[in-house]
Amino acid sequence: MSTVLRDPPDLAGDAGGIVARRAVARWGWRLFRREWRQQLLVLGLLTVAVAATIWGVGVVTNTQLSNPNYATFGTAAAQVTLPGSDPHLAADIATIQARWGPADVIENKDITTGTTQSVYLRAENPHGHFNSPLLGLVSGRYPAGPGQVALTSQVAALYGAHVGGTWRAAGTAWRVTGIAADPSNLADEFALASPGQVTHPSQVVMLLGSAAAQQAISGGNGTLPGVPAATLSFPTGQSGRVSPATVILLVEVLGLVFIGLVSVAGFSVMAQRRLRALGMLSAIGATERNLRLVMIVNGLAVGVAGALAGAAAGFAAWFAYVPALQQAAGHVVDAANLPWWAIALGVVFAVATSVLASRRPAKTMAAVPVVAALSGRPAPPKAVHRSALPGVIVFAAGVVCLATAGGLAGASGNGGSAALHLVGGLAAVIIGIVLLAPLAISMLRASSWLPVAIRIALRDLVRYRARSGAALAATTFAVFLAMGICVVASVQFENVLSWTGPNLSSSQLIVYAQPEQGGPPVASLSSTQLAEVSRRVSSLAASLHARSAVPLESAGATLHQVGAQAHKDFTGTAYVATPQLLATYGITAGQIAPGTDVLTMRPGMASLPHMELAWGNYGIQQGPGGQGHKDSVLPSCTVSSGCLTSPRMQTVSGLPSGTSAPNTVITEYTVTKYRLQTQLGGWLIQAPAPLTAAQISAARQFARTYGATVETESGSLGPGEIADGATALGIVIALSVLAMSVGLIRSETAQDLRTLTATGASGTTRRTITAATAAALGLLGAVLGMAGAVIAGLAWARSSLSVMFGDVPLTDVLILLIGLPLIAAVAGWLLAGREPPLIARQPIE
Amino acid sequence: MSRPGLDGDGQGVVSVLELRGVSKTYGQEPARVRALGGVDLSVRAGEMVAVMGPSGSGKSTLLTIAGSLEEPTSGEVLVCGMALAGMPRGRKARLRRRVIGYVFQDFNLLPGLTAAENAALPLELDGVAVPKARAAGLAALEALGVAGQAGRFPDQLSGGERQRVAIARAVVGDRRLLLADEPSGALDSVNADEVMRLLHEACQRGVATLVVTHDAQLAAWADRVVVLRDGRVSGQTTRPPGPESLLTPGEIR
Repeated sequence: MSTVLRDPPDLAGDAGGIVARRAVARWGWRLFRREWRQQLLVLGLLTVAVAATIWGVGVVTNTQLSNPNYATFGTAAAQVTLPGSDPHLAADIATIQARWGPADVIENKDITTGTTQSVYLRAENPHGHFNSPLLGLVSGRYPAGPGQVALTSQVAALYGAHVGGTWRAAGTAWRVTGIAADPSNLADEFALASPGQVTHPSQVVMLLGSAAAQQAISGGNGTLPGVPAATLSFPTGQSGRVSPATVILLVEVLGLVFIGLVSVAGFSVMAQRRLRALGMLSAIGATERNLRLVMIVNGLAVGVAGALAGAAAGFAAWFAYVPALQQAAGHVVDAANLPWWAIALGVVFAVATSVLASRRPAKTMAAVPVVAALSGRPAPPKAVHRSALPGVIVFAAGVVCLATAGGLAGASGNGGSAALHLVGGLAAVIIGIVLLAPLAISMLRASSWLPVAIRIALRDLVRYRARSGAALAATTFAVFLAMGICVVASVQFENVLSWTGPNLSSSQLIVYAQPEQGGPPVASLSSTQLAEVSRRVSSLAASLHARSAVPLESAGATLHQVGAQAHKDFTGTAYVATPQLLATYGITAGQIAPGTDVLTMRPGMASLPHMELAWGNYGIQQGPGGQGHKDSVLPSCTVSSGCLTSPRMQTVSGLPSGTSAPNTVITEYTVTKYRLQTQLGGWLIQAPAPLTAAQISAARQFARTYGATVETESGSLGPGEIADGATALGIVIALSVLAMSVGLIRSETAQDLRTLTATGASGTTRRTITAATAAALGLLGAVLGMAGAVIAGLAWARSSLSVMFGDVPLTDVLILLIGLPLIAAVAGWLLAGREPPLIARQPIE
Repeated sequence: MSRPGLDGDGQGVVSVLELRGVSKTYGQEPARVRALGGVDLSVRAGEMVAVMGPSGSGKSTLLTIAGSLEEPTSGEVLVCGMALAGMPRGRKARLRRRVIGYVFQDFNLLPGLTAAENAALPLELDGVAVPKARAAGLAALEALGVAGQAGRFPDQLSGGERQRVAIARAVVGDRRLLLADEPSGALDSVNADEVMRLLHEACQRGVATLVVTHDAQLAAWADRVVVLRDGRVSGQTTRPPGPESLLTPGEIR
């Protein structure tokens, strides 16, 4: 039959343009409104990420002053301090003002308050040239004449004074005109009087401009020519360090990478649920681009909703936290002082993550054949590429790279190359794991004696191994990451002599009686100075509510291990185990075995072979000019040369852990027996509660005043904390990946689930299938991740297995190996059991 | 009654849909399944053809191939004289937006879009301005007697109303080929008959219609009934159509 086309249809034109895109975008948006509850996990993660970013950048930006020098110098370029005992005080002030131009003169006088709180009666012009960051008015007005004073709120509270009332101090009745504060240092308590109203000041501080600073610097020695009593100091230079907000943003980006992975899985599940609707859309003429747009609009909606919710939560948290931060930081915090660029970037990153994560599922679903999509059938399982051999090769190459990196790290001058090998090795090992995952999945064999639900779960994993292989790779990666950190941390802490242990606890503080701990030898303070500092340290301890400041005596002795090739030195200071020190930690004399030379809490140190305790000038070669340097070859170890072979060491768990706290001490028995010379090295202050930023700031000011040094918690983590944190992180990542992957795999096999239900399977069967799927992936991921991490760690550290397993925290290993699959199974059991039609049939009318 | 595209003897008429020796197989040996084997079929403008046959005879496959949703393994498919073989996907999508209308057994309306929006969707996807597309959608709903439900969402409509909206979506614009896969399968007999009447009305406006159905009584609405068995055309009725014609074996050839 011949066919004549009378009126051929016009098929010219584009894909519908903006109108079509708007139509599918509208549908995508309405789908989001209908189904946002199913995307709560992704929404929640994005919300937390944005909220944490806003709160985090707010905190890190405002914890420190915008310029740390403000707290001491205001906006001045130099500060001159004149003691109140200066016989030519008035003349010196006049000289300085005459020579170096305008200066702010601040006269301080100590006031006895009856408490440890030091309060200054301070005379200064509130509208000076440089003191605006140092002075602020809270209420009332500044004093404007004789007999008037403005108090800080704490001083007002201390004396029960109020604005308009009278305050009696320094033999004068003052009228309180206002409440003032030092915005840069809220711990600075003072009573502000007008200039010239303080007689016999104990100290005069002058803030000078840049001209004075230039001349003083050119004069050298940090002194002002013609004013010998003056002590000159300058603001420290602002280093070009990375903005803290940038660091927070980087952390956010890392978090968003993980959230992005979870989102991909989440959006895949959503796309799966909409498969029939997408098929229908395609059947009536939507292009693949239109179909992708539906999913991308959903991703955009999730991203924007998460970012907005996160921004609201973040700002609420920030504004709520400002008062607490102000108290902790010890300076006034401007709640609006936020790095808005970082916040904007954080929000944009979150939205972009969601949009990017929606692209892959969108592309996958748009490519499903229309007929398959219309029937609600997912695309048949993809054939797995033969990735086993490349996987083995890449993994092996990674291990070799890591081994090389370990070797290079030991050699000097190869830092860059070692880092390159390390990064390359880690990347190759991770890629190798990803390539090997499908092979590992295909090795799952379900024996016929297993219950049918478990059999189905395992066989589905093998059937859908393109999907389950990716899930296994992600789970393995999470465990690898956690276990790798545990292994590396344990290797780092393997040498108990050179122990990069945790630093002081947050409630500890050590005052060193010399300007710089561990620095070059400096002249010790005189006995008079030490007595004064000691008295002040006790006062400081009292202000921190500590019972006492425990003196730390050093015997100038140290430990080392003699090896076949090189000896290992003990790091840290071995203090003397004074009764007061031992009592601080509840250690009684009865706990110490007679004849013990050294007490330590470092695990394994007491049993180290070839140990020597050296003191005095043992191994020190005196050079020209009296300079000493360590001999490259140590002399024989004898008591007469200042060395004791195999000192008796006892492990005492009561001693505190940490490098700075005295964790290894020399007994008084040994000090006496070998006539070791002791000297006061510092004081340990153990406060009942964590020190606040203001207390630490006050302690540092104290140290600066008396030429001492304080050490507080450094924030570095111990091996246990690192391992626990890594384990928790790994489990959270692995469980998130498992939740998404298992949901996806189970929704793909929902038809089978319907059949099972039709043949009489109960909710228990459905739960068992889901739980077994999650547990199998979790267990396999844990085993593979752990094996990969141990192999990689061994290659990198080139240690022996015994040492590795001797130090790796077994609890964390067990948690990963048993806990992860167990939690996955329980969660799978609890979350499964939904009626299959809801999963199998997408919501299409 | 004379209908556009149809004349009395069928000579010199327009074939909107033409299948020439169409075969379709699924899977690989030894699990290869032949769904269609050398099917020839032609549907003229204004003609309603019903496809009947037992389950697995290839009815739905025939419909999806005719609608450009699947490629035949061999053979040729022409819609309005244009061969689908080798046609780019974008052009096929335009064909589905402008020429072919689908009616599914389970309605397949998009949740989240109102009845009017569902009906206007093909036009909007084709870039027709929203007001114009909405007006056309409303007109289609009006013609099908569900204009009163235009603002309702699919889950607020009855089964019969949903299928009317689906038909409105399938005929909106200048469609020339209507493909219906068991359009009354999910409806009661009253609504099923009504749906077939509406499809018949579309035919009277010149739309070529291919309906897959199991119901011999509903197939009686068709101008021609094609019977498929094991993927091959095993017979077809001739006019005058009527339910009784299917019951007489002698008239099946």
